[in-house]
Amino acid sequence: MEFNDKVPIYYQIKTVIYDQIIAGERQPGEKLPAVRQLAVSLTVNVNTVQRALSEMIAEGAIVSKRGKGNFVTEDTQVIETIKTQLITEHLSNLYEQLHRLNIDDQDIINALVTYIERRGNSDDNH
Amino acid sequence: MTTIEIEKLNYRRNLKTILKDVSLSLEGDKIIGLLGENGAGKTTLMRLIAGTAKNASGTIAIKDDTEADTKKALVSYSNPLGGFAPNTPISKVVAFYEKVYPDFDQAKYQQLADFLQLDESLKLAALSKGTREKLVISLTLARQTSVYLLDEPFSGIDSMSRKKIINSILKWKPAEAIMIISDHYVSEIATILDEVVIIKDQTVVAHKDADEIREEFGLGIEAYYEGLYEEGVTHDEI
Repeated sequence: MEFNDKVPIYYQIKTVIYDQIIAGERQPGEKLPAVRQLAVSLTVNVNTVQRALSEMIAEGAIVSKRGKGNFVTEDTQVIETIKTQLITEHLSNLYEQLHRLNIDDQDIINALVTYIERRGNSDDNH
Repeated sequence: MTTIEIEKLNYRRNLKTILKDVSLSLEGDKIIGLLGENGAGKTTLMRLIAGTAKNASGTIAIKDDTEADTKKALVSYSNPLGGFAPNTPISKVVAFYEKVYPDFDQAKYQQLADFLQLDESLKLAALSKGTREKLVISLTLARQTSVYLLDEPFSGIDSMSRKKIINSILKWKPAEAIMIISDHYVSEIATILDEVVIIKDQTVVAHKDADEIREEFGLGIEAYYEGLYEEGVTHDEI
């Protein structure tokens, strides 16, 4: 994958793995590849992967089992919380940008509804 | 744990200062980018760490060891193979390494050579720049040492070879070893670095954690490096 060199790499690795967990590409209880294997497939340093994993372990999304490796948590509550955080993060970026343009809340909601309807239609046509 | 302690290193050659007052402390199992313009002193610093350049003032200790001979056994330095005749086949070069370095791991070399698709029967003169560098990397990583020094492994190499070499570094660098990679073009290796050391005007002007640079300054490694070089023009350049 392509990294943004201006953003800490460990943070981008976390984002990639969280996205995979929320999208269901990595299932609850699934074993993660070994640290070195993750490093090679992402073309990053082993220590950077380790730092990303340590933070995810601290946040409860990944469970480290001694001698067995790292696993996606089976606690769906934790995954839901991460999903909510991620949605909030994306929405707050969007909201702040539109709010800065003095667009009021109702107009933002209307525009979003219209956009999703159109987007849905155009995606169906493909 | 591997440590490299450099204190007050000064090096002159032919009355010219190559390095002045270099102090640097590296530890752990890191990959460190040694960055600087051509002629800044990167290669000299590597040769001093490897023990192939001598007569510098100051000290260089590897794992607390300052003796030149024992230090040599702790360091694997990418050798550009200049000492071999152009018609030497790869197999002969490998045999030479096996004989000279007791820590040379034949099985590991074979894995690397297979991964990088090196043909043992080819002669050095017949190798493209990229293939030659793949051979150098394979030979360097096949030694089991505490320190690996790779001197500009990517200069003039196509992007496919570069990716392969980067992958082989990530796969085969022993977990507990320190690796220093020098380069003057940073972006191609930025994602694999733990730390960067920047050399300018014959001395170390910065030593920082790579993700800290991104976090603290919101800058890419390359922009940070270029910023340091633009800061204040030295008198030599005017």
